[in-house]
Amino acid sequence: MFHQTPTRSIVLVFALVALALYSIYGGYFAREIVVEIAILAILAISIDVVAGFGGMVSLCHGAIMGVSAYTYGILTAKLGYPALPSAVAAIGAAAVFGTVVGWITARTTGIYFIMATLAFGQMAYTVIFKSRWLGGDDGMGGLPRFDFDWAGIAMNKSLPFALYALLLVLLCYVAAAWVMRSAFGRTLCGIHSNEPRMRAIGVSTIIHRARAMGFSGLLAGVAGIIAGQHIQYISPELLFWTVSGEALIVVILGGLGTLIGPMIGAIAFVLLKHELSGYTDHWHIVVGLVLIATVLAGGRGLYGQIEHWMTRRKARGAAQNA
Amino acid sequence: MDAGFWVLQFLNALQYSMLLFLLSIGLTVIFGLLHFVNLAHGALYMMGAYLGISAAALTGSYWGAFILAPLGVTAIGALLYFTLIDRLRGAGPMNQVLVTFGLIFVFLDIARLGWGDVALGLSAPAGLSGTSNLLGVSYPTYRLFIIGLGAVVMAVLWLVLARTQIGAMIRASVENGDMAAAMGINVGRLFFAVFCVGCALAGLAGVVAAPVFSATTGMGISILIPTLIVVVIGGLGSLQGAIAGSLIVGLIETVGAAFLPSFAAVASYLLLAAILVLRPQGLIPARGT
Repeated sequence: MFHQTPTRSIVLVFALVALALYSIYGGYFAREIVVEIAILAILAISIDVVAGFGGMVSLCHGAIMGVSAYTYGILTAKLGYPALPSAVAAIGAAAVFGTVVGWITARTTGIYFIMATLAFGQMAYTVIFKSRWLGGDDGMGGLPRFDFDWAGIAMNKSLPFALYALLLVLLCYVAAAWVMRSAFGRTLCGIHSNEPRMRAIGVSTIIHRARAMGFSGLLAGVAGIIAGQHIQYISPELLFWTVSGEALIVVILGGLGTLIGPMIGAIAFVLLKHELSGYTDHWHIVVGLVLIATVLAGGRGLYGQIEHWMTRRKARGAAQNA
Repeated sequence: MDAGFWVLQFLNALQYSMLLFLLSIGLTVIFGLLHFVNLAHGALYMMGAYLGISAAALTGSYWGAFILAPLGVTAIGALLYFTLIDRLRGAGPMNQVLVTFGLIFVFLDIARLGWGDVALGLSAPAGLSGTSNLLGVSYPTYRLFIIGLGAVVMAVLWLVLARTQIGAMIRASVENGDMAAAMGINVGRLFFAVFCVGCALAGLAGVVAAPVFSATTGMGISILIPTLIVVVIGGLGSLQGAIAGSLIVGLIETVGAAFLPSFAAVASYLLLAAILVLRPQGLIPARGT
């Protein structure tokens, strides 16, 4: 179950302020990294909602993010609609796609759910990859950023865009935390830990699962908008299943089922990747080994491990006082 | 489109199906017996191809590679079994998926470090490098060899599983592992043996595929998804399922691509989704329902 503990709030604020300061004083390259972190953090938070709380390990979140990015691309670059309503529609499309996949796959669990989401994600990937109209494997360019010139904010500059991406991370985190604290979030955890019992007390597990995928898809859709606006170009690679796999790695590295963990994981992952690629071309092997070590060490992840130590210490303190 | 075109397409499909079969049989039996999801199976296939190329260079003969590559991959598999897989057997699908996904990364970079980023070729053995005339079509002899090899492996596995005591023990352990253990079958040792055979077949598929497709670092990831589709469509843990599944996917992806290219790419995923939703136990389930 999810609790927004004071530690989590402090870590959240601290991480966001640190990233904001990094982008303000770090120059162009730092801002690129911050945007990359923001996209991955939102995608990882959206996966944590389903995987961490609902036990639904999805391999189609890259595809959901891509559906949003491509819908945004079609509406703006192809059909010429204004950016803001197009983004809302694109996020809606991602939520609908997530809900539909969630509803169809709701009866499957475990490895079957993983495979089913993989199938739907790859279907979306293949359709876009094969579509001439959408640019096929060449991708699609010319996606606009929002126009906030009337407010004196030049979104085409790197700093305002990086801060805007961080603001969306905060919004997505708050939304996820709020939903996971609601009755719906509690029910989702209940379904994860004992599905027959939840069904016996009259909860429709299928509708809850589908809704969870829908909400998670909505968050992934936000990540898709940032990804599309960032380099103003999208390619089918965004939808490939390994994108979801990588985001899942980030969730595990950070701490599954904590919401703040995936964000820490995204920061660690992106920084590690850029640091390592400065020394060696083979950063994949390091990521792979770190991932294996994390799972074997109990799978709590960076943030989860810290929280685990803190609660253990608290429990020991309480035992001594008693 | 004449008859020759169809024969050609059919032979292509059959050859691809046999490769898929060699890969999926290992994956499906490992899942059926160990309940273990091995995403690194494609990586073992890739290692088979690369080890084969090195072994061929070392021994100066394709047949050296044909023998040594599966053995090398089996050694890698045994190492994985003792370090990771045995430990993760009860750890749930998510941990297994994650660890083996990490292994994909590790093997990818091992291949890049050891053999570089360029695609490497392996020439077919002298006797099989020409073309043969079959049903009025000239077809590369080596590809016919792949089809024949797949058929032989299929027959041997079927005989072992259906007609020998080892086969009966494996079937019993897939059906009910606890009961089999209670009857005095050393399930752990059986698992390990089956896992090694699965790895050897993945390595064999790799070395056999190398002369046709040439070895690249991406080959493991690109073959993984069709193999998983075969395994799920056929039914996890089922030999007949793997045969049926690999023929279906092979036909869809080659014959389908020849005359319905835009649909064929999605068709196998559609089939996978339909099977998972409507008949999750697969077309030919391993255990009686």
